[in-house]
Amino acid sequence: MAKSSKLTTMIIVLIPVAVGINYAGKFFAEALKLPLWLDSIGTVLAAMLAGPVVGGLSGAINNIIYGLTAGPISFIYALTSIGIGVAAGLLYRAKMFENAFRALISGLIIALVATAISVPLNVIFWEGQTGNVWGDALFAFLRSKNVGIWLASFFNELVVDLVDKVLTVFIAFGIFKALPKTLVYGFRSED
Amino acid sequence: MKSISLYVEKDTFIHKLEPVTKLWYAFTSVLLTFILPSLWMGILFLLFSLLLSISGRVLKNMIAFISAVIVISLTMLVIQGMFYKDNSTIVFTFGSLKFYKEGLIHATLLIVRVLNMIISFGILILTTRPSDMVTNLVQKGLSPRIGYVLSSVLQIIPQMLSTASTIIDAQRARGLETEGSLVQKLRAFFALIGPLVLSSLVEARERAIAIEMRGFGISMRQTHVSVILEGKVDRVLKFVIKLVLLIALTWRVVSWII
Repeated sequence: MAKSSKLTTMIIVLIPVAVGINYAGKFFAEALKLPLWLDSIGTVLAAMLAGPVVGGLSGAINNIIYGLTAGPISFIYALTSIGIGVAAGLLYRAKMFENAFRALISGLIIALVATAISVPLNVIFWEGQTGNVWGDALFAFLRSKNVGIWLASFFNELVVDLVDKVLTVFIAFGIFKALPKTLVYGFRSED
Repeated sequence: MKSISLYVEKDTFIHKLEPVTKLWYAFTSVLLTFILPSLWMGILFLLFSLLLSISGRVLKNMIAFISAVIVISLTMLVIQGMFYKDNSTIVFTFGSLKFYKEGLIHATLLIVRVLNMIISFGILILTTRPSDMVTNLVQKGLSPRIGYVLSSVLQIIPQMLSTASTIIDAQRARGLETEGSLVQKLRAFFALIGPLVLSSLVEARERAIAIEMRGFGISMRQTHVSVILEGKVDRVLKFVIKLVLLIALTWRVVSWII
């Protein structure tokens, strides 16, 4: 039971809060009429606080709960959320959140990871489309110019995801820097 | 407090089934429409899932789920109809745009698969109380700690969203600019999410202490307050579902080898 012994009580209570922050991010973005989702800030924060495993777990549970409360489509994209959480946790361990510039690079890497996972899902379920008007228009244009389905789908997803994910990571980085250290250390897993 | 669950309280046969049975059905019906790649098979499952949602009396709620994918389904028909790789037979032309039979059929198959997925998982979601599902899964061997996380999320989200509205009101009362350019809005976003994250993390730390005091970390066999019983119908249904899945998988593997 080496895996579950890492799940201390502090981490068990962190995961629901991470999912709640994801929901709140989406809620605030809608209240401010921002043209973004910003709905994975909690996942990234949890990964920074407690590591890649907890980040991935938060991502998975986020999409399971989202699927249960908003519609089953988001079950599929649980894989993308897991990827975001794991990537953020690994990047944090690799000291890629030391300063704003590195956080920006991390944001780009996480956006690429999210895209790389979403594209096969989009190809399997939607033959490459994303459901976003601008992305799909680009997709149709590229397809009509005989660009391959994978490449067209990749650009489609990137257009939709890039700005959102980079900003998500940047906001999480900003919040993390501002958190009091006594709070941060409490969530560290004991490895 | 408002609940975020989509559960619809009704008294039907489907509602009384064990949650795990419905989960098995959802997984199986989604898997089968992928491993048996025929349009008629997909339509058969789609109709069966629809029939189940009618007998669970949740068809009205299902329409909200379905309408979420209507736009993408229509654009899929258009894009596939024009650009699918095996397109050769023209069905009709619209100005200078040509629509092909192969692409349209392919798009229909994709739409049927997605609709079937939405409806079969929709049945699970709409006819099962989330807390029952968590209890049931824990009984079947899910770690009780993960079970706690799942049921805790469902309670925390409405709380955090109501805190979120309080924070919006408070910051607006202090004169926070929530209109204007993108940069201005992003600054406002920080001012809103910052206090929420801080307060909810502090609360989480207190919650950890509180549940530890009540023996949360204890490593003994735990018992359940409410027990979900597995009826005879559930046992039969689960057996049939697993059998169908097994047959389909064997057929798929065999037809690959031959």
